Amino acid sequence: MRRLIAFLLLSGFAAAAFAQADQPLLQSVLAELGKHAAVRADFTQTRENPALDKPQSSEGRLLFVLGHGMLWQTTAPYQETLALTGSRSARIDADGRVHPVRSERGVSQVSQMLQGMLGGKLDEALRQFNVEASGTPAQWTLRFVPRQERVARVLGSITLQGDNYLQGIRIAMQDGARTDIRFAHTRDAGPLDALEKRALGSP
Amino acid sequence: MTSQALKLRAGLFAVATVLVAALGAWLLFGRGALPIQTDLLALLPATEQNPLAEAAVERLAHANGDRMVLLVENADDARAKDAARALGKALAAQPVFDTVTAELPPFDLAQMVAPYLAHRDWLLADADRAALAQPGYDPAQALAQRLNEPFLTGVGVPLADDPFGWLQRWLAQQPWSRSPLLPEDDLLVAHQGDVTCVLVTATLKGSSYDDAVQRHALAALHTAELQIEHDYPGTKLLRTGAVFYAAAARAGAERDVHMVGWISSLGIALLLLAVFRSPGPLLQAFLSTAVGVVAATTVSLLVFGQIHLLTLVFGAALLGEAVDYSIQYLSARANAGAQWQAGRGLRQVRPALLLALATSLLGYTLLGLVPFPALRQMAVFAISGMSAACLSVFWLLPALLQRPAKPMTGALVRGARALQHALARPAHGWRGALLAATLLLVALPGWMQLRHDDDVHQLIAQPAGLLAQETQIRAITGLGNGSQFYLVQGHDAEQTLQREEALEARLQALVDDGKLEGWLGLAGMLPSQQRQARDHALLARLFDDPAHLRRTLADAGFRAAAIDAWLAAWPGTPLQLDEWLKAPLSTPFRQLWMGCHAQGCASLVLPQDDADDALLAHAAAGLPGVQLVDKPASVSALFGRYRGYASVWLLAAMLLIVPVFGWRYGWRRAPRVLAPPALGIALTLAALGYLGQPLTLFHWMALMLVLGVGANYAVFLHEGEPHAVDRPGAMYASVLLSALTALLSFGLLSLSSLPALRGFGLTLLLGIAFTALLVPASRAGSVAPCVRRQHSSGTA
Repeated sequence: MRRLIAFLLLSGFAAAAFAQADQPLLQSVLAELGKHAAVRADFTQTRENPALDKPQSSEGRLLFVLGHGMLWQTTAPYQETLALTGSRSARIDADGRVHPVRSERGVSQVSQMLQGMLGGKLDEALRQFNVEASGTPAQWTLRFVPRQERVARVLGSITLQGDNYLQGIRIAMQDGARTDIRFAHTRDAGPLDALEKRALGSP
Repeated sequence: MTSQALKLRAGLFAVATVLVAALGAWLLFGRGALPIQTDLLALLPATEQNPLAEAAVERLAHANGDRMVLLVENADDARAKDAARALGKALAAQPVFDTVTAELPPFDLAQMVAPYLAHRDWLLADADRAALAQPGYDPAQALAQRLNEPFLTGVGVPLADDPFGWLQRWLAQQPWSRSPLLPEDDLLVAHQGDVTCVLVTATLKGSSYDDAVQRHALAALHTAELQIEHDYPGTKLLRTGAVFYAAAARAGAERDVHMVGWISSLGIALLLLAVFRSPGPLLQAFLSTAVGVVAATTVSLLVFGQIHLLTLVFGAALLGEAVDYSIQYLSARANAGAQWQAGRGLRQVRPALLLALATSLLGYTLLGLVPFPALRQMAVFAISGMSAACLSVFWLLPALLQRPAKPMTGALVRGARALQHALARPAHGWRGALLAATLLLVALPGWMQLRHDDDVHQLIAQPAGLLAQETQIRAITGLGNGSQFYLVQGHDAEQTLQREEALEARLQALVDDGKLEGWLGLAGMLPSQQRQARDHALLARLFDDPAHLRRTLADAGFRAAAIDAWLAAWPGTPLQLDEWLKAPLSTPFRQLWMGCHAQGCASLVLPQDDADDALLAHAAAGLPGVQLVDKPASVSALFGRYRGYASVWLLAAMLLIVPVFGWRYGWRRAPRVLAPPALGIALTLAALGYLGQPLTLFHWMALMLVLGVGANYAVFLHEGEPHAVDRPGAMYASVLLSALTALLSFGLLSLSSLPALRGFGLTLLLGIAFTALLVPASRAGSVAPCVRRQHSSGTA
């Protein structure tokens, strides 16, 4: 299952062929995103699902460090900090201890793909997705559509939207489920504290 | 015996030989496939006291045995994938392959998940089990965390079917979810840095050890490989599978058979021609040897049903020893000159030949006592071959050698005589003792440098290139190593699974500590009924209060219809073994279940990488019904044990020969006869030490043969010299001839592709050379000053 999720995601972000990377807008967006080595933002995630009659909403803070991973810190409706680093996921408890979480490959794959993409590396994403770029470098939208039928049967599209920074991610599933993530107060992260460094395995 | 009688006996012997040859031919060719074994596993002795463990070794070796695993690599993603597709198509067009899998058949996610829905209330991931067992478990919070997971939720299993994600997380820890290979563009793909690797597998129509299958499959692959390398530049193909190892072993062994067989035959032929100066003796010597080889092959086939290629390699080398008997007889004829009478000549050499045969058989019988299938076969081959060759000298050759022959080449005899004198003179009296002491002193530092090596790879030479590719494929695909595994046994399936769970708890702890890469076991995919019942009981705490559960779900935002359907599915049914075995998803893992027998049931757990033996053994320590099986380690340990025994056997064999020589030569002279082989062995050991060769079981086996062959030479010289008094040097010339033929055949083994045979050959080379040079010294007291005096005090 995890593998399926993983490839859905990978597919999700991966493969639209290098030719697409030639698009000037895509290139300039990636170049701009790659300038920020570490970014902090507040997020709000809203999720709709056919099984739910009201959307789910959560909020918190995100720390994104290029080449290392991200800390996804939910503050409401509950407190939880997840460290998504490369192929690994871990839960950071209230005392700052790191507990590896098994079997979260799907989520970590998304974070990996985002990390790669925001670092200007589109290869993974382009293997699995067709990318349409629209807008201007100051206000852009990238839409990733699965190239492969087996993935497309489950995943509709992933849309990234932003300016100098990533402003939002929208993931649309074929069963009608939608996940919308909006970022606010995005800024360069500045120095990391000891816990953040340890959780992300950065120097 | 009259010439008439000799001819009658030879005729009967010839008829018998033809019959044996016919039987051998039928055994070889008349029963379908050629019964020549190339399976390396068949060489290894049974090391496990538990027959199930041996069966498991066999199963693991052969489960993937008739399959090629190929990995197409290219830094260019599209090229790698196109190359893999092209490879798949090219191989599929070849009739030697049964199925070729490159592009995946279409499959539906929902169909994969569906069978598990009925069991979702019985299966829990480790983390969920631990969380649910906590007293403060808060379903509302768990639900909130599930619904607000970053990015995605409910991808594998629809949210309505699995609100808390229990089933999804259980499925996520299944091995097929953890494989580094992901379906991509309808191929199974792994990305290693910038390189794309695509998996292609092909099952063979037939056995990997079948000669024709091997040749066709490898040829087809080679053609396809060249094609894709040409069409998609930068493409590299990695391969693994029993067929490659079997083909490499076969090629190596065939090369050895050809090299040892042809070079030694040619060398021996030239040597015999040069010495006897006529083609007749050459043909007779080969006839006698051929009789030996035919008999040896037939008897081996009768006893074992098939013959291992390794035995043939060894057999090719045996030619050099079998030809000794005819050489002695031919030398006797050459030395007798015009007075030659076939019958009398036979009586003259018979004691020497019988004594020589007896010492050889003694050596080979000891070899046959080692419980290695390969060595047993060699021993049977040698014993039957040597006996037949010797019998042919007694019964066949006399009829063919009625007329006198030319004497041996004068130059050789003079040379042998000079050498004999040179070697014998310093061995006189106290000088001999001094010389022996000096030799031993020189040998001492060599002995000090002797080391041991009992590695199983002495016997199984796997080409480094293939091993490297296998390691790479394992690293990329996460396929297990197959040589180490746990055998778990219980009196029924349930107990077996429970015991496996106890083992896997320990293994998972090692994985969590980063000491083990992973493991593959059945209980993770099919938990014991006990565990399923406990997991079910954990969930029942929530389901026992459906109203509360309903409220929790409703508060979280679930639709009433979804809640109703989910609650109605409780309690479901546990997952059963029969059902699991039938599920398509279990196909790649079914080999882990060994099934049930009268004694109970068994399953296998495979560690995922080459982990430290001690660590793996420790993980099984104290667990009932769990046993770590490590075939290479077991075989290596057995090698070591028998190497120890072999040194004792060598001593025992020497002591066994003493009374035989004592009876024949008198107690005072017996040590002198035995001295050349004994000293030869001592010097050989020293030389091996100086050469830095670690001693293996095979070196000791070779030393046993040195003892046998070396004793032969001493016997030939002692028995033959009194009959050749008027031709000084002639007898030693025949001994040198025997030694040279042995060196030509056994010595060539030191160039073999197999480390074990290489060590064997080198040891024989050294041992025979030393012994042949030392033999004159054993007659130093009589030969050097006056040959005739020796004759009067000669043998009985």
